[in-house]
Amino acid sequence: MRLELGKIFIKNIEFGGQTKVENGTLYVNKDELLQEIGGDSRLTKIELDIAKPGEETRIMPVKDVIEPRVKVEGPGGIFPGVLSKVDVVGSGKTNVLKGAAVVTTGKIVGFQEGIIDMSGPGADYTPFSKTNNLVIVCTPIENLQQHEHEHAVRMVGLKAAAYLGEAGKNVKPDEVKVYETLPFVEGLKMYPELPRVAYVYMLQTQGLLHDTYVYGVDAKRIVPTLMYPTEMMDGAILSGNCVSACDKNPTYNHVNNPVIEDLYERHGVDFNFVGVIITNENVTLMDKERSSNWTAKLAEYLNLDAVIISEEGFGNPDTDLMMNCKKITAKGIKTVLITDEYAGRDGASQSLADADKAADAVVTGGNANEVIELPAMKKVIGYLEPADIIAGGFDGSLRPDGSIVAELQVITGATSEIGFNKLSATQY
Amino acid sequence: MAMNNKYLIITNNPSVWESYNSKFCTEFVEGAYIDVLVKVRNKIHEGSQLITHPLMGSVKPNETPYRSIILQNGSNTDMQSVEIIESSIESCLRFQKDRPTPNWSDKVLKDFQFVDIRLFESAISSLPDII
Repeated sequence: MRLELGKIFIKNIEFGGQTKVENGTLYVNKDELLQEIGGDSRLTKIELDIAKPGEETRIMPVKDVIEPRVKVEGPGGIFPGVLSKVDVVGSGKTNVLKGAAVVTTGKIVGFQEGIIDMSGPGADYTPFSKTNNLVIVCTPIENLQQHEHEHAVRMVGLKAAAYLGEAGKNVKPDEVKVYETLPFVEGLKMYPELPRVAYVYMLQTQGLLHDTYVYGVDAKRIVPTLMYPTEMMDGAILSGNCVSACDKNPTYNHVNNPVIEDLYERHGVDFNFVGVIITNENVTLMDKERSSNWTAKLAEYLNLDAVIISEEGFGNPDTDLMMNCKKITAKGIKTVLITDEYAGRDGASQSLADADKAADAVVTGGNANEVIELPAMKKVIGYLEPADIIAGGFDGSLRPDGSIVAELQVITGATSEIGFNKLSATQY
Repeated sequence: MAMNNKYLIITNNPSVWESYNSKFCTEFVEGAYIDVLVKVRNKIHEGSQLITHPLMGSVKPNETPYRSIILQNGSNTDMQSVEIIESSIESCLRFQKDRPTPNWSDKVLKDFQFVDIRLFESAISSLPDII
């Protein structure tokens, strides 16, 4: 499967008369976009705003971040099984508005989290302070159930991203990158001497506000399966996950997974990157056993030499991570784990809720308990009040002057467990 | 649905108690998240086995006051359950030490109850012998 990813660099975003990309600026026709994403009777109001890098703007509580993409050639469309037919995606040509993002916000539950600061110290912790953001604030009808609210906001965000992506369909990309994975047997013939490496991609799938979708299927209902890495780049996996802002994977991260990106960089040189094994993180131990049995079985079946395993979320997925690690290691396959840490404010406590001696190569995305101070911003998009009641916030987090003292876990994407951030730890 | 005696539910979430105490053996804990975990640990030492992970959900143990855990009745101590409940208790105490659960407003408490029951129901729906 071969995908040409055409990157159109977006350096600015403005509302304008026509939705188009011109000289690196994405112009957005507000009315047309509202027409495109409106019509859901569960929402009384949809408001649009813009947040650019360097501005004194705070967005909160953030639900999802989505990158505008469009299929230019090849089967299917963006977000298959949700916005497009369920064709297998990941081949042909896709254009992306690199540097633009849709950010959705709305108070789905009272304790909801997720902050993006566009400048100041908080901006350093989130990749979405560097994107030109179209922010969508959704207000639900009264007494709308939380899962309905989440669904409504999720769909609005995806539709908005797909609408903006269309603006790049006929634009010549500034840069084209080609990604290719051969069918398994052909890959073996092509790289007979190279070690076989796969990526075990763990998806958060525990229930309300903790869900991920694969080709439109709720991933808690899947057994682990194989995917071409380029399928992710066309939005085959998307987020319905609102909890644990710092280490959940927004939809933006699923299409820009740095583990996949980096494995491709050395594919065919140092190893043969054979593909991605997706798996879930369910709440029952039987589901955890079944899914980790299957990841190990698939890894063995593919005759792998090594896997990289990434986690999503906190606490009970640590058990899934360790089960995957232990069972794959027992097959004689090397593992490297990527996680983040809840190691207390001083970073000295036990980082994970589970451990195993097989986990002897672990990369961290940072300590989510670290306390940070975020100065007041001139403008807030969304709602500031949840600052006191978000994960990592606490009574008095929100000071009268609008500044916030809280744990790093309040910031969207701060301790990404797929490495879509800058934090880590090194042992000297 | 007839009363199911295979499973045991330990919860401090009034919504779970109200919806499920007539369908499953359910013990309501008048106490905090940690008290639910300790009760579950006792049950495990008496021979029950964990069905759900005690830290299910990404809502932190010093954030949500509610916890509902499903056990399977039994008579032999299951070592995997012992290890998981011990490390879960350790995690919970660590979070509480750094920052205890705040006194939430009623609306926020209702939302925490709702998320807890939905996670719980996600577990119930994956039990093979429950329709």
